[in-house]
Parts: sequence; C-alpha cells; structure tokens
Amino acid sequence: MTLRKRLTLWYAGILIASLLVIGVGTYREIDEQLRHAHRRAPEERAISETGEMVFQVGLPAILLGLLGGGWLTRKALEPVKELTDAIRKTHEHNLRDPLPRTHNGDELDRLANVFNDTLARLDDSFNRIREFTLHASHELKTPLTILRGETEMALRDESLSPAERERAGSQLDELHRLTRIVDGLTLLARADAGQIPLKLEPVRLDEQVRDNFADAQILAEPHGIRVELENCEEITVRGDRHRLRQLLLNLADNAVKYNQPEGRVTTDLRRVDGMAEFTMVNTGAGIPLEILPRVFDRFFRGDPAHENKIEGCGLGLSIAQWIISAHGGTIQIQSTPSKTTTVIVRLPLDPAANQPA
Amino acid sequence: MRVLVVEDEKKTASFVRKALQAENFAVDSLANGADALTAAAGTSFDAIILDIMLPGRDGLSVLRQLRERKDPTPVLLLSARGEVNERVEGLNAGADDYLPKPFELAELVARVRALTRRGGENKSTVLRVADLTLDTLTHRAQRGGTTIELTAREYRLLEFLMRSAGRLCGRMMILEKVWDYDFDPGTNLVDVYVRRLREKIDAEFEPKLLQTVRGAGYVLKAAP
Repeated sequence: MTLRKRLTLWYAGILIASLLVIGVGTYREIDEQLRHAHRRAPEERAISETGEMVFQVGLPAILLGLLGGGWLTRKALEPVKELTDAIRKTHEHNLRDPLPRTHNGDELDRLANVFNDTLARLDDSFNRIREFTLHASHELKTPLTILRGETEMALRDESLSPAERERAGSQLDELHRLTRIVDGLTLLARADAGQIPLKLEPVRLDEQVRDNFADAQILAEPHGIRVELENCEEITVRGDRHRLRQLLLNLADNAVKYNQPEGRVTTDLRRVDGMAEFTMVNTGAGIPLEILPRVFDRFFRGDPAHENKIEGCGLGLSIAQWIISAHGGTIQIQSTPSKTTTVIVRLPLDPAANQPA
Repeated sequence: MRVLVVEDEKKTASFVRKALQAENFAVDSLANGADALTAAAGTSFDAIILDIMLPGRDGLSVLRQLRERKDPTPVLLLSARGEVNERVEGLNAGADDYLPKPFELAELVARVRALTRRGGENKSTVLRVADLTLDTLTHRAQRGGTTIELTAREYRLLEFLMRSAGRLCGRMMILEKVWDYDFDPGTNLVDVYVRRLREKIDAEFEPKLLQTVRGAGYVLKAAP
C-alpha cells in the first residue's frame, strides 16, 4: 500500500474518532437538556449550553485531532528519518551495504530501492576505478622492466662516452622514479580493494622511532638540518613492522625535503590518552591553510613552485595515511605557514602488552 | 654454471640472458612452461629463473611439477603482478627465491649467484679488501693500520659490501640487506650512507676502494 493511502486511512481514522467524541458528547448534552428542560429560561439555556458544548465536546475533539495529527506526522516522517540516518552512514567504503527496506512497496521503500540502485552503480564505478588503477600499474610493469633492464645493460657498456653515460644514467633515475610511482599506485589500489593483509605483531614503537631518528639525521646532514628526538617513551603497538618503518621513513623524508637549509626537525613519541602519539615538527615553509585538507590526496602538490625542486612520487602521504588508518590510528597535519609544520600520528597501544599506564 | 631462463617476454629474456652471460653463466632461454619442463628433465641446470605469467602453463604450475618430480634445481620466480601472497605461495610451492618486476639487474645476478653457490661462502671472521680489514667478531675496521670508527649501520653496510667484494651491489639490495627494507622508500638514504662510509675508508687512503657505478649501485674492489 502506498504511503499516501496509508496516511489518508489513518487520517480518516482520527477524524472518525473526533466525530465519535463530538457525537457522544452531543448526545449526552442533548439527553441532559431534555431531562432538565424546565429548570431554566430558554435564552439563558441557549448561551450556556453552547458554551458547555464547545468546552465539553469541541475541545476534546480538537485535542484529539491535534494529538492524532502530531502522532500521524511523526509516524509519517519516521521512515524518512531512518532513511536519512542510513544515508548519512554511507561512505566510499560501505557502498555495498544496502539501506534497510520494508518491502511494503510504499513511496519510501521505492526511494530506498532507487537509492540502493544508485549506491550499487556508484560502488561499481569505484571498483572500476580501482581495477583500472590496478590493471594500469600491472600493464606498466612489463615495459618498465624492459626499459630498466636495457638501460642498465647500456650503462655497462665500457665504450660509452661520459655524456652518453650521463644521459643513460639520468634516464635510469627517472625510471626508478616511475617504478616508485607505479609501485605506490599498485599498493594504494590493493589497499583500496582490501587486498593487503597486515602482518600484525607487537612492535616496540620507540625502537622504530630511534632507528628512524638515526636515518633522519643521515638524510638531514647534507642540508645542515638539525634533527632532535625529544621524548621517546617505551611504547608497544600492535602493527606491521615493515609498514610502520615505511611510515616513519616517509614522514622523516618529507620533514627533511620540505624543510629549509639549516632548519630543524623535532620528533617526539609519548603516550597521550591511552594512545601512542608520535609528532614530527619541521621548520619548513609550511602548508597554506586552504590546501591542508588536500595534502593526503594522491598526486596532490600544494605549491607549484616546489614541483620541480622536490622530487617524490606524489603518493607518500596517501600511503602514510593508508598505513595509519589500517592500524586503526589517525594522522593530522597542522601548519603555521613560514614557521612550522607538525605531523601528529596517533596509534592504538597493543592491548596485550604489559605497558606502564 | 648453467642457468635456464623461462620468460615469454623476449626483450626481458634477452637482457637477463646478457647480464648473466656477462657474469660467466651459460644461459638457456625458453618462452613457455611445457618446453621448460622438457628441458629440465633432460639437462641438469644449476638454477632456473622462472616467470610466473607464462602462456599456457604458468610458472607456479611448472614449479610444482618440477618439485613433484623431485627435481631439486634452485628456482628464482619473477613476477610482474607483485601480489602480496604470491611470494608466500611461490615459496610454498618450492621456489627458493622470488623477485618482483621491475628489478635491478645487479640484484637478479646476485640472487642467481646466491642460488648457485654451493657452500662457497667466505667463512673467515676477518674480511679483507686490499689493505682494508673488517673483523666480524669485534666489529673493528682498519685500513693501513689505522682503526676506523663505524656506527652500527655503517658497520652493516661495510660488512655487506666487503662480503660482496668485487661485485656490483644495487641500491635495492643494500636497502634489503642493511636496512631490512623490502620496499623502495624513494629516499637517498643509501647514497648518503655510502658517502659517509667513503669519507671514513677512502678519503685519506689510496687506492679508492668504494666505487659508484652510475645508475646501478656500488662496488667495493681492490683493483680500479
């Protein structure tokens, strides 16, 4: 039955109930009038009886109508609210979960049905994009393998002139970069499809941070950048050792790359509100506020002026974000342009590890 | 040493063959799994390089068949798919090693060499290249009688380079052996470390031992 029919019937029910109230009230009034008709003057009776009718019969009927109307509206809008809540919970990763349906064929059920169809089509498009990325990165690997192999072979040729050697070497550098981009794309496409299982084990995050600190110092040295480790509390998280190292190195590399000469990188690891909190502050040019939310986007480059100066694969922060969310953590970037940029990573502690509170 | 390369992509097969031949391996090259099984039955190879995606019978099935026949030839799998489970699946099927494409030639050669090495590992605790020595027990490095102070990471790097003395070490190989990274972090970590190590072992000495091979990696060797 359609919602319109259902509501009309309910409304008719309320009207009939109101009518019954009026009918019963009127009957009792008239009944009383007929029994005690002789006691008062007719004109006085007409006024007082009308008043009594209005108060004792009309008001309850109106009240009933109002309450019924309110109840009816709530009842009519309830499925809309449920639908709204369900739609609000829909995001990129649960498109496959359809909205709940009543299957009673009314307008709202039809709306849910149409919405589910739309979701399915959207999910299909997302999948196609993921599959496309995955296939594209696979297809690129064969020519890349050949190009790299042949360029490496060419470089082994003793008879190359220094200029030819330089040219081939430069090509090989770009091929390595291309490889990193393709590898990054493959990784993200697989991550999107939920195809990358993490090897979870207890990991001493402080040890990883110390290791990373040593690497960061080495990376920073040629630029005269000072790297500092403030706190490094003993913290165990449950995570994938390799991915966490990849994450830390990635952040350290960014902190050095986007810093200024003679700048500073400060790292810190501590326990905050039952989470491991790792922060890395760099004294680089910073990120303008308006592009801050987009820095995790794939291939997003905030400052076009940087494009040629700083080479990278453009996927570093996207990969970092994936690693963190796969560990149930969060990453946040705060920036005061031309002063500092702070990256804050929060990861859940290993519940099984016996750690000081 | 005789190596069988099973790869249907002609150009890849060609440079792999050339790179191995340059390292004095005898190389046979085939383009499909069925031929590979026939060839392996008739000839004893020291190692087989097997691409996973082959027309007809794929590399994994060839590998399983080989192992079913009790053929113990070391197998290095190559794959462009780079599936996360593929390495595990390959090793479970009896592969000895796995290398995702694209790879460094130096790394491929080093891995094939490792597979074909029959207990030839240098067992001595003191490694030596020219007048540079490294004691793997005390972690002490010396050159020309001068003691060289090394950090833990520099020690691991030097040990790796000295154990592969005379051979090309690619960046990915160094990252894997010295840092235990199985991904290319896209940083110049290796180059910076090599530069630091060079400062310590080469700056004040002659001849220079640690050489850069443009685009390929590094090699530590006595003769220039």
